[in-house]
Amino acid sequence: MKIFRHLALTLTAFCAMVAGGSFVFAVALTFVVSAFRDVEISAWNIVASQVGPWFLLFIGVYAIHNVLPIAVAHGRTRREFLVAASAFSVVLALVMTAVEWLGFLVEGGIYSLMGWGADERATQFAYLLMYLVWFTVGMLCAAAFDRFGGGGIFVLPVALALVVATRVQVPGSGNLPFVTSLPYLLGAGWYVALAVSFGVALAGTWAIAREMPIRVRA
Amino acid sequence: MRVEVQGLTVRYGDVTAIDDMSFSLSGNKIYGLLGRNGSGKTSLMSALAGYRRPSGSVQLDGVPVFENAAAMRQVCLVRHSADAADKGDKVSYVLEYGAAWRDTWDNDYALELVDLFKIGLKTKVGELSLGQRSALGVVIGLASRSPLTMLDESHLGMDTPTRYAFYDTLLNDFMAHPRTIIISTHLIEELSSLLEEVVIIDGGRLVLQEEADVLRSRGTEVTGNASDVDEFTVGMTVLGEKSLGRTKAAMVYGALDDEQLVRARQLGLELGPIALQDLFVHLTEPVGGKR
Repeated sequence: MKIFRHLALTLTAFCAMVAGGSFVFAVALTFVVSAFRDVEISAWNIVASQVGPWFLLFIGVYAIHNVLPIAVAHGRTRREFLVAASAFSVVLALVMTAVEWLGFLVEGGIYSLMGWGADERATQFAYLLMYLVWFTVGMLCAAAFDRFGGGGIFVLPVALALVVATRVQVPGSGNLPFVTSLPYLLGAGWYVALAVSFGVALAGTWAIAREMPIRVRA
Repeated sequence: MRVEVQGLTVRYGDVTAIDDMSFSLSGNKIYGLLGRNGSGKTSLMSALAGYRRPSGSVQLDGVPVFENAAAMRQVCLVRHSADAADKGDKVSYVLEYGAAWRDTWDNDYALELVDLFKIGLKTKVGELSLGQRSALGVVIGLASRSPLTMLDESHLGMDTPTRYAFYDTLLNDFMAHPRTIIISTHLIEELSSLLEEVVIIDGGRLVLQEEADVLRSRGTEVTGNASDVDEFTVGMTVLGEKSLGRTKAAMVYGALDDEQLVRARQLGLELGPIALQDLFVHLTEPVGGKR
């Protein structure tokens, strides 16, 4: 519980602050762009669907690469840390989805006032699953590289498959190559696939990090 | 805290850092873990702290340490790489980690030590000098008040006044809060007065485990007229010699018997204790293929 509380208080607050700063930047940039051309897309959607996942992947890497060794150095087991980090992944994804929703709400008000147009965006559940999977994949990659060194590269194809799956139903984040119609064919089953992706990434992280040695840092 | 190691082996690929090592420490003492570079000190301490799964058995008070929450709570290992701190974190944040995650953490003492070692609370760990980072490691180790506290080369980069402050602090804290402290160091003579028991390892194997005073009694420094010293030391294992004019001092290994003590008196030789460091060098230096 102590680890979870620490992660939730520090990293969630940090992520929310970064998201808030990004929102202000996106709105300011939109006003600048509006001086030169019509605004037709949501700037916040670009942040939420493209920058956000990468940021959460980085936070996942940070959690395993930086915080896990500190936890062990302070007498905590890897199991305790992984339990806390697993619960934290859900909390962080929920908070970031709430921030994303709030951002769209405020941006919508600004766009209405200014008479600007915005493009389509995904459901909240799609954003939630995307954030969840990207954070967990970040932990998976960090665990693989920390434990196996260069051998961690073999986890990258799996990681890529897991994260690509999250983006196909989020407008503005890119489409699947060759199989663009797959998400529509799967329908609601796509959400199940994303939940499975989260489970696979989390299980992989546990399997690799559960007995990972804490190496001497360079 | 009792430490029991049975058949411990640590390998990194083809390199064997610890080779089938067994020993036990009764606890509540300051132990010196001595060994040359690459002898396996850090690997041994890492296994004791549950930093890596041991091949063999590592038990603290009779229970395995690796991934055992109750046992790991009792251990604090501070390696020279400062595992308990992230380079991007401020020192104050590093102390917050200790306060948040360690039940036994003494934050007032941590702040006192940070002040003693003149470490800025708002300074980032990555901006500290090597000596300050080492001092921060000492702060983390001592303020953890862990029943098993291990300090691996904690003096690295410290200047002499800081090292002396570290030794005084360590001794005072040990007197106030007796526990098992293991220190690995190369500065054997500086620390030797603090050490109650010494564990010497070399090439991943245990060379010797002995009370420090008993170990010191294994050698004698013989001082006197050069020709008398030479005559007296014939047939003995001489670890080293120093000469000044006609006076000579020879360090001999092994206890002297009564006959030798009488002979030394007859020759007017002075007998004194040998430096722990010289014994260490002898015990870990291959001479003629033998130790």
